[in-house]
Amino acid sequence: MGLKCLAQHYLKSTGPSFILTKKNKPLRRRTASLSKMEFVNPEGLRLDGRRPMEMRQLRAEIGVVSKADGSAVFEMGNTKVIAAVYGPREVQNRSQQSNDEALVRCEYSMANFSTGDRMRKPKGDRRSTEISMVIRQTMEACILTHLMPRSQIDIFVQVLQADGGTRSACINAATLALADAGIPMTDIVTSCSAGFLNGTPLLDLNYVEDSAGGPDVTVGILPKLDKVTLLQMDSKLQMETFETVMQLATEGCKAVASYIREVLLENTKQLESRRGV
Amino acid sequence: MVGLSLGEQTFIKGGIDQDLRTDGRKRLTYRPIFVETGIIPQASGSARVKLGATDVIASVKAELGRPNPSYPDKGKVSIHVDCSPTAEPSFEGRGGEELSTELCSALERCLLGGKSGAGAGIDLSSLCIVRGKVCWDLYIDGLVVSSDGNVLDALGAAVKAALSNTAIPKVQVSANAPSDEQPEVDVSDEEFLQFDTSGVPVIVTLTKVGRHYIADATTEEESQMSSAVSVSINRQGRICGLTKRGGAGLHPTVILDMISAAKHVSEQLMNKLDSEIAAAEACDEMES
Repeated sequence: MGLKCLAQHYLKSTGPSFILTKKNKPLRRRTASLSKMEFVNPEGLRLDGRRPMEMRQLRAEIGVVSKADGSAVFEMGNTKVIAAVYGPREVQNRSQQSNDEALVRCEYSMANFSTGDRMRKPKGDRRSTEISMVIRQTMEACILTHLMPRSQIDIFVQVLQADGGTRSACINAATLALADAGIPMTDIVTSCSAGFLNGTPLLDLNYVEDSAGGPDVTVGILPKLDKVTLLQMDSKLQMETFETVMQLATEGCKAVASYIREVLLENTKQLESRRGV
Repeated sequence: MVGLSLGEQTFIKGGIDQDLRTDGRKRLTYRPIFVETGIIPQASGSARVKLGATDVIASVKAELGRPNPSYPDKGKVSIHVDCSPTAEPSFEGRGGEELSTELCSALERCLLGGKSGAGAGIDLSSLCIVRGKVCWDLYIDGLVVSSDGNVLDALGAAVKAALSNTAIPKVQVSANAPSDEQPEVDVSDEEFLQFDTSGVPVIVTLTKVGRHYIADATTEEESQMSSAVSVSINRQGRICGLTKRGGAGLHPTVILDMISAAKHVSEQLMNKLDSEIAAAEACDEMES
């Protein structure tokens, strides 16, 4: 309860500024250029008071949807995502069934109220389809599908609040949900984004920083195996700067991984105590 | 998801006949309700309601718009419901559309009244800013996160809680605007008006299983139902809307009996909901 209050307090304290920027900048927001807005002020603080290398506050909870085999809520600052896993279960579409491995399916949808301006179409638009595919490919890489042939694993991700970094939050939530469902994986997958504005590499961009038009590098790694499974970038960046930004995002992923491990350990301890072990 | 065996079906029906359901409740008892308000900071009002394992979120967004030319002194309210695939794998893609449309039209029927806005649970004239030119458009969005039966009641409760959490900004209209142009409206970021929800009804669904009816059915109990009647009742005990679902026919006296039972149940539900909403708002204010 204490953690939740803290997170809500954080949300409240950054809430008004979030609403203000949406309401008071109608068109400029779309054509905002880098030079006009100051993303890192001379004291080295970003728009929401963070340092350039500082991540937003993380919060995760396991087992929120009791009907699902595994579920989790993951919050990165103001971005809040619910993931539910149903599986392994019988394949619904026989033609897609595979005799050697499990079929992994994923769907990403955003709630109507998740963005500042109300969205008309929660799913089926191109961005949602693309992100569904990205999450599916990332999770498929780490699930031991050959252990569950002729079965299907469904991962459903629902965005409740979008404030930048939804892709990363979805992947982190999906990892927790898969772990909660007890699906065998080679390693957990964590993801984080980083960008480059006002000459500074910034970790974990929020919506305002993301829509500034600067580069946005999203990285997904398998922390123990130290392998990169997801790498996407928008806009353009010099080679040396790219290496720095990617390194920064990888560090962010490792921080998320240690947090996720803590949450899973806590969850297991609770399960143990409930079983009387 | 998983079908029920004959033994399980008999157990459920028998339990309902004896006024002892599978989770120990009586026929007309609701599951514990848990309400949380203000969970979506960028919306004007929001709430999350958990009714047992059923989890729904409702959000209200107020935007400026033009009133309908036929009703120049009334604002507009539109309701939309989305069923997330996290609740049921079958809701993936367009699978949840049928249920979403059904819930959406049931909510509209219960909350919005007739075309002219007469008899609506929400007072539309309070949303008018400048007659014929500027009014508030309320967009009410519901999201079903987890469904374990009785989703309509949970949505009704969530919409009521979200509306009581809604803070509409105060507006100042510039007085010297020409009469045929859109007046300049200055939306205040500091001052808010709490929305008046004393007239908003609460929805009670009674499900008929065998010869008896139960309130707040779980998914297993709903799978055994012959028909269900959803009644929306406001604080004064007036009926604001009625929906009958299910294929089996009901005798008119049975329907009248169900309605009076629903009225009785709705009083308790209304009181419980109001106290939960007040507690949630108090918790909200304490933290902010």
